[in-house]
Amino acid sequence: MASTLLANLLITWLLLPFAVAFLAALLPRVAPGLALLAALTTVLVGSWALLGGAFELDLIGALGLQLQIDGLAAPFLLLNGLVALAVLLDRWGQTATGPFPVLLPVLLGGLNSAFLAVDLVSLYVALEVVGITALLLILQKRDARQLWVALRYLLVGNAVMTLYLVGVAVLYLHSGSFRLTALADFPPADHALAVIVALLLVGLLTKSGLFLSGLWLPRTHAEAPADISALLSGVVVAGGLCPLLRLAGQLPGLQPVLTWIGLASALLGLLYALLESDLKRLLAWSTLSQVGLVLVNPAVGGIYALSHGLAKGALFLVAGRVPSRSLTRWPRQPLPAGLALPLGLAGLSIAGAPLLLGYGAKQLLFSAPFGGFAGLPVATAAWLLPLLSVGTAAVYARLLWVPLQPGPLLLAPGALLLVLLLLAPLVGSTALALPASASALGKALAGVRLPSLPLPNLERLVDLLGGMALVGAGLLLVLLGLELPLGVEAEVVARRG
Amino acid sequence: MPDPFRLLEVLVLLTVVVGLLGMIWRRNLFLRALAMDVMGTGAVALFVLVAARPGLRTPILGRPELAEGAAGWADPIPQAVILTAIVIGLSIQALLLVVLTRLSRLDPLLDTASFESLLAAPQSHS
Repeated sequence: MASTLLANLLITWLLLPFAVAFLAALLPRVAPGLALLAALTTVLVGSWALLGGAFELDLIGALGLQLQIDGLAAPFLLLNGLVALAVLLDRWGQTATGPFPVLLPVLLGGLNSAFLAVDLVSLYVALEVVGITALLLILQKRDARQLWVALRYLLVGNAVMTLYLVGVAVLYLHSGSFRLTALADFPPADHALAVIVALLLVGLLTKSGLFLSGLWLPRTHAEAPADISALLSGVVVAGGLCPLLRLAGQLPGLQPVLTWIGLASALLGLLYALLESDLKRLLAWSTLSQVGLVLVNPAVGGIYALSHGLAKGALFLVAGRVPSRSLTRWPRQPLPAGLALPLGLAGLSIAGAPLLLGYGAKQLLFSAPFGGFAGLPVATAAWLLPLLSVGTAAVYARLLWVPLQPGPLLLAPGALLLVLLLLAPLVGSTALALPASASALGKALAGVRLPSLPLPNLERLVDLLGGMALVGAGLLLVLLGLELPLGVEAEVVARRG
Repeated sequence: MPDPFRLLEVLVLLTVVVGLLGMIWRRNLFLRALAMDVMGTGAVALFVLVAARPGLRTPILGRPELAEGAAGWADPIPQAVILTAIVIGLSIQALLLVVLTRLSRLDPLLDTASFESLLAAPQSHS
């Protein structure tokens, strides 16, 4: 009986954001309150799942939808609720204009479904809902630049989702099921499996903005209005990350490939972020780098995504209120203390400064059961990872050296809320370790000025589509060439575990 | 004689590839959108093909004598799934055309190059 009640409660929670969206269109005056309620329930469910709550929803029979709340989805749900809450707080008191009050709950609900979906068709629908909603949110101002960025987002997003759909069809042809678990049942070294996995991966990798298939991300996140950027960089990328982590859990033999893609994405994003002179574009390139790290170690990927999403959401919310986005003017331009505080704390957290959530997450990332990089000597990995941390610290050090202007502290309420959550480990007192060598090194690097290298422009439309196709073709070759005995390795790992 | 199912499968997958290549190589944005639709058509056709594998008869309950035929039923599950995907594809295509209409005010020829320069200009503040 209790489980039926729980199932009903969870279905109500899943549907609540969509009901809120309808009501918001009919009764604009109560819309912010209702949206707040939807975000708060998501935070509650996320916390419940983080504390060990788990539930499986099977709707309409064995071939129907399958949704699963578990520890993997928990940090993502929590992140989704918190970032939506912060964006709502950030707008509190302003008269809502345009479709924002309707779209925000739809985005919230779509992402919730994407985090819970265990069958590939529900996931497809959820990701398309998220994609369309994000597009409409980007398009709020409708000037030429935003129209162009939106068109790129739509073309790339729909092309990869079509490829994903082809992968789903081939999976059904070979296994008669749409479930993610069906992937583990293939015979070893099956070519069909390699094709299916490559097609699914190119869709999910592009949606989460990873490596060459994620080249659409920096411009899109930089051109969107600031609070929408906070949503996009904070949680929308996670809509692809959570299913990727589920896929990695289903096919352990795939992990080396994902680790390498994550590492490549981290390095690419870092390089461009270091040499960027625009605040929002720097933050967006850094997102491309940080989501790469989420894939490096899927065991703690969720926690890492949570700590990054909270901080990045705060940073983008602050970026909407700073006097100038140009980083060349940054050292001469005083920043009000109310903006500098959340900016500093969030930046320090992503850079991995001790006492903040980002530090704990980074420690977990490189210490929890970590397979290392297949084909890379341990010694190389041993300096590569600190190098990444130092690079990230150097990126954010550029933001932190800014003259302060005293003033009230409550200038960006939403960002402040997110930053306070980053301080949570202080209360838990688990991360009261001394500064690790990496972050100390980063501080030492803080003053270093980088030469401006002429990096190739990788962000024309043809590059975005080509990057996506390249990643797809590369994946296919790697997966076929390795003759991945995915099934066999999965069994071996399962037996070992 | 090759298996007709295999043959059709290859043709359908070729459609998807042709659409993808069209998206990458065409310079005109409208043709790119059209190529995207070709890709979508390929995906839909693949689902219809997969559904037709066990048989060709429409899986709708009808008169009892119909159920006695020799031919097998088509699989309703992929058909149901692709209906959803068709609706989503249609709405995305509609959105895409709206955005293209707005962009055509800037350049009626919809040449990709004329829009790339939009982002090269200095940042506006937002």
